[in-house]
Amino acid sequence: MKAHLALSLATASLWHRRKVLALVCLTLTLSVTLLLGIQYLRTEVKQSFTSTISDTDLIIGARSGQLNLLLYTVFHIGDATNNIRWSTFQELKQDTRIDWLIPISLGDSYKGFRVVGTDKGFGEHFRFGRGQPLVLAKGQWFSGVFDVVLGAGVARTLNHSIDDEIVLSHGGGRTSFSNHKDTPFTVTGILEATGTPVDQAVYISLQGMEAMHVGWESGVARPGRTLTPEQAEGREFTPGAITAVFAGLDRKILTFRVQRDLNQYTGEPLSAILPGVALSELWRLMSQFEQALLGITGFVVITSLIGLIAVLLTLQTQRAHEIAILRATGASPGLIASLYLIECLALAVVACLISLGLSAFAISMLGPWVLTNYGIQIQLRPLNLEEWALLTSVPLAALLAALVPAFSAWRQSRSQGFGSPGEM
Amino acid sequence: MNSQSESSAHSSEYVPAALEVKNLTFCWDSQHPPLAFPDLSLPRGEHLFLHGPSGTGKSTFLSLLAGMLPPATGTIRLLGTDIHQLGAGKRDRFRADHIGVIFQQFNLVPYLTALANVTLPCRLSQRRKAATGETPTLAAHELLTALAIPESHWQRKVTRLSIGQQQRIAAARALIGAPEIILADEPTSALDSDNRDRFIDLLLTMAEERNTSVLFVSHDRSLARHFHHQLELGQVPA
Repeated sequence: MKAHLALSLATASLWHRRKVLALVCLTLTLSVTLLLGIQYLRTEVKQSFTSTISDTDLIIGARSGQLNLLLYTVFHIGDATNNIRWSTFQELKQDTRIDWLIPISLGDSYKGFRVVGTDKGFGEHFRFGRGQPLVLAKGQWFSGVFDVVLGAGVARTLNHSIDDEIVLSHGGGRTSFSNHKDTPFTVTGILEATGTPVDQAVYISLQGMEAMHVGWESGVARPGRTLTPEQAEGREFTPGAITAVFAGLDRKILTFRVQRDLNQYTGEPLSAILPGVALSELWRLMSQFEQALLGITGFVVITSLIGLIAVLLTLQTQRAHEIAILRATGASPGLIASLYLIECLALAVVACLISLGLSAFAISMLGPWVLTNYGIQIQLRPLNLEEWALLTSVPLAALLAALVPAFSAWRQSRSQGFGSPGEM
Repeated sequence: MNSQSESSAHSSEYVPAALEVKNLTFCWDSQHPPLAFPDLSLPRGEHLFLHGPSGTGKSTFLSLLAGMLPPATGTIRLLGTDIHQLGAGKRDRFRADHIGVIFQQFNLVPYLTALANVTLPCRLSQRRKAATGETPTLAAHELLTALAIPESHWQRKVTRLSIGQQQRIAAARALIGAPEIILADEPTSALDSDNRDRFIDLLLTMAEERNTSVLFVSHDRSLARHFHHQLELGQVPA
């Protein structure tokens, strides 16, 4: 009966003071939304990050560390230590355990974006996210030597459309002085946004890659030796070397054996890595930062809880008459104290519920925008255990914080006299 | 001596006084001289007017009687029970069960309706809830009707009612569940003289119907004529 009385009194009291408390509740709501949002984004960004590449069982490159190989093949960060001979690639093709191969040839750039030389297999076999294939938003995959397909980010940033002519640069960097200006490429296709580094690159055929480098053997164009597009038509180009290979296996169970065989390949020193393993290792490196971010947000929540307590303590002086009435009518100091606990807990729960709704709304509204502008895929999903734990910790912390005004009310009401305090 | 066993042993032939005070003194701290209060004994169902100019410790006396402040010396027996022998929790429960209170002003919980303010004691005390006979809400309806609070005001926020109405609602709260004792601390000081007399008449009549003793404190001696007994505060040397 007393619990019921305390609950109904606390509810009525909260409603009575709703104007003041709404502001405190708003502060708490915003900070909880921030906390929940950051935790949610952490999970989503990690998910988005670790699903940068999927269904690829092995990435094969010249001998190097697994992070380095991952960074330059998947994230287009840094440079390859060495190349793989074309003959090695041909030999891999003969391996019956391997289902498909995607050759990757790097080294050039287009206005700061990487140029990736590959073949039709890239469009067919490359998967990201939860096994999603690449989809062309417009046009088609390259068929001619000087055809180029743009990633969504490149097309949006540079405002390119189908049939635009572009000139690729030799080597990396945003401003390159040696351009392949004799061999302009024509945009034949633009990819849909994927939220992965695929968006930030342009794709040409291995033949195109070879054709534009004819006459560039010394690293600069030798006048008269480069090809014109007309000369290139009808010629066969065979690359001498490629940078790396993405491989998919027939039977996943053989992954480790194939990896070991490749690492011990006698033709030349190779490294084969499992992209999933390398990605999680890379994520571990970055998790320091997000931990710090979460910590800061935690402090924001604590700050707003302190604000809540300050307001409750201030309201306590206003409540002196009401406490006097309740005490004189026979309410125990415990009942008075429990009012503060219930009110604080209720405010925190309301704040949590509102911030849940607010977060869900924000994510569903901003998700597509974030994907197209920042290339991060954020979807609405049920909260995981960690996020629930974080969310429930807020009312618990509020309850803990409410002990301050509750204890002070308990102590005051124990020495409460008859009638209003101070006029005894 | 255990006062409770004493009262129950005599329960068949002896009805303990509603209020019995002996040798009562109170001390705020060592800086102040102790306050002394007159001995008194008020039989059940009779009313006492306690006159005291301000500064004579009226509110302190009521705090002592309600068991909300501990006395320095002396005993207070309410219905035969020495309330300061009870533990804090039992004292709170005793107050909820047996005492109705009316203050000078600010009598009502601001966030409850008039009706909820009246039924509040029944929610704090099973005994007073049971004593209403029917449901507390019905009893509150009767009291509010008898005290001439229009029905349209029952569900209203109490802060929007006049002072006179607020004091009558406080009286209804004190009366509900027929407590044996009502402690009233200058409840009429904010009312005009017509309202004052009507309020006291109503309160005392309804208290008599319930065999409730009213202890009424005021500095206005002209009100004393309504009561069976009267007493001066602040004449006993410490």
